[in-house]
Amino acid sequence: MSAREAILSRIRRASGAADPQAVAARLAGGQKAPVPAQGRAEGEARVAQFIAKARAADATVSRLASADDLPGALADELRARNLPAAIRTGADPLFDRDWGGIERSIGTGRLEEPATLSRAQMAMAETGTLLLASGPDNPVTLTFLGETHFVVLAAKDIHAGFEDMWAAWRARGLDPRTVNLVTGPSRSADIGQTLQLGAHGPVALHVFVVG
Amino acid sequence: MSAMSPTTPRFKQNVREALANRNIQAALGNAQAGFVAKRAAARAALPEFDDIRDAARDLKNHVLANLADYLERYEEKVTAAGGHVHWAETAGDAQRIVLDICRKAGAKTVNKGKSMISEECGINDFLEEHGVRAQETDLGEYIIQLRHEAPSHIIAPAIHVTVPEVEAEFRKAHTHLDPGRNLSEKAGLMAEARSVLREKYFAAEVGITGANMLIAETGQSVIVTNEGNGDLSQSLPRVHIVMASLEKIVPTLEDAATVLRVLARSATGQEITVYTTFSSGPRREGDPDGPEEYHVILLDNGRTNMLGTEFQEMLRCIRCGACMNHCPVYQSVGGHAYGWVYPGPMGAVLTPSLIGVEKGGQLPNASTFCGRCEAVCPMRIPLPKMMRHWREREFEKNLTPSAARCGLAAWRIVATRPWAYRLMTAAAARVLRIAAMGKGRLASLPMGRGWTDYRNFPAPQGRTFQSQWRGEQ
Repeated sequence: MSAREAILSRIRRASGAADPQAVAARLAGGQKAPVPAQGRAEGEARVAQFIAKARAADATVSRLASADDLPGALADELRARNLPAAIRTGADPLFDRDWGGIERSIGTGRLEEPATLSRAQMAMAETGTLLLASGPDNPVTLTFLGETHFVVLAAKDIHAGFEDMWAAWRARGLDPRTVNLVTGPSRSADIGQTLQLGAHGPVALHVFVVG
Repeated sequence: MSAMSPTTPRFKQNVREALANRNIQAALGNAQAGFVAKRAAARAALPEFDDIRDAARDLKNHVLANLADYLERYEEKVTAAGGHVHWAETAGDAQRIVLDICRKAGAKTVNKGKSMISEECGINDFLEEHGVRAQETDLGEYIIQLRHEAPSHIIAPAIHVTVPEVEAEFRKAHTHLDPGRNLSEKAGLMAEARSVLREKYFAAEVGITGANMLIAETGQSVIVTNEGNGDLSQSLPRVHIVMASLEKIVPTLEDAATVLRVLARSATGQEITVYTTFSSGPRREGDPDGPEEYHVILLDNGRTNMLGTEFQEMLRCIRCGACMNHCPVYQSVGGHAYGWVYPGPMGAVLTPSLIGVEKGGQLPNASTFCGRCEAVCPMRIPLPKMMRHWREREFEKNLTPSAARCGLAAWRIVATRPWAYRLMTAAAARVLRIAAMGKGRLASLPMGRGWTDYRNFPAPQGRTFQSQWRGEQ
């Protein structure tokens, strides 16, 4: 008997009769768990909550009227942070624009990446969390190798909490290798139990909310 | 101590050493207050917290009642996404599966995100013995790997290491750097670890991570981290191996959300960790990065034997560490004293289940039964009740030391005869009150040094409970 068969038959012996209907119902979304009030914000309050929660998690956030403002806003941010005028992005068509004085390169993350730019598919106001999905145009390594990570997010893609975000996610029918929920820049308290930003991932996270 | 040779049987000796170790005591003192206060604040900020705990408990009970069905469904989804599922009955089986994958990948180096299952299986030592370098990348795990130690806390593995000790370790290990460099600041230590490990990420052929959850609906494995090392460990190497125990299953994305809502709040007091990553299968066609192979090792290692027993509820555990953060015993002795991978109250229940009551039977005795572990457990696991079950089993198997057995026998005689109990407690209360000489506490007690060596014994203040009760009636 294979390990698989042995394990499964031990489980079936120990737990008695399973309930396939209950399993099917649960997998079909039949079970509703409590949704906290902080995961139910609507309208402009939702955007405001997303921004407040992201800032509470040590991200910085700015709002742009349109994606056309991106090159100028990014140039300002790079200058203010004393970073070189260069950005690493994926091949996302959103980033096919005139970057002015910023040198844009396309590809995956490398050993040294002072600044990277990604696109968030969605976000949720519940905890100020971004959702990034890997794909041909969206290298997952840009999210973790950039010392400063910039993310563009459309305001209309901010959901209230997990429940409506997952519903919207299923509706898009995507099946990426990796889905990253990101809330603030990386951190660790492993040295002297003191929280420090910038563990292995970005030291800083900036979100451009568009619209 | 290593995963394969637990020092749990010499628990009492371990405890004495921990109590005498100033570094451990200083580190524990700082850390515990932080964890407890942060969890309390997080809970207070979420009015629905206890309702969500109930939902999380019910969800895991449902999964455990239907575990085989969910595992089959999960396996189907992983396979459909191009991944491979390997079933491991024992830690030894898991070791061989990992090595086999590494050999096929021609791996010289394996990068590891934090994984308690890999600790349980002793993967690092096993790979080293077979010529594969296992590199820990979680900052805490990296520090203890340099020190050749095991984690002393499941979410803060290097909690017992002081800052000067980290500096000394880095100077010893990072010999390629300028010996005159300034490492007096914590920020400098962190930056150094970051840059040293950054290079290692690009060198490894295989990355191993754990899994906080496995989602049956989607076939995704989920890791919850703050550092980003688990993500670099799975995104840069050619092969990604997930090591998970089989009870980590949740049915749907919504169920994962229910667990996530209580997990970080109970662990670090965060609403959510910085990174929550859902992975399924290898990179998709056209993807510029991500692993080309995806393997999941489903480990049993004694867990299916807990199903249908009084220890089944332990399988709801989501490894947040709240029980140990709030445990007066853990707070005093730290994690290493427990002698194996899982410390604190959850370890006291899980260790005898996984390595046997013969080796792990002393741990459930290390409890004051104050009940804080159960009170803070996000999955509402009745830890004290299960420790009591283990004590009974230890007694039944005649593993309890003879002095303790004699004491229990004497106690039984007194406790089952109310007149004897009344007489003894009244006499003891009077004697102790007089001996305290009005101070209300005793600094030493004959035959009670196990207590008074470490703290004062509170002296009885008046009559016994029974005589007061009679007076009230």
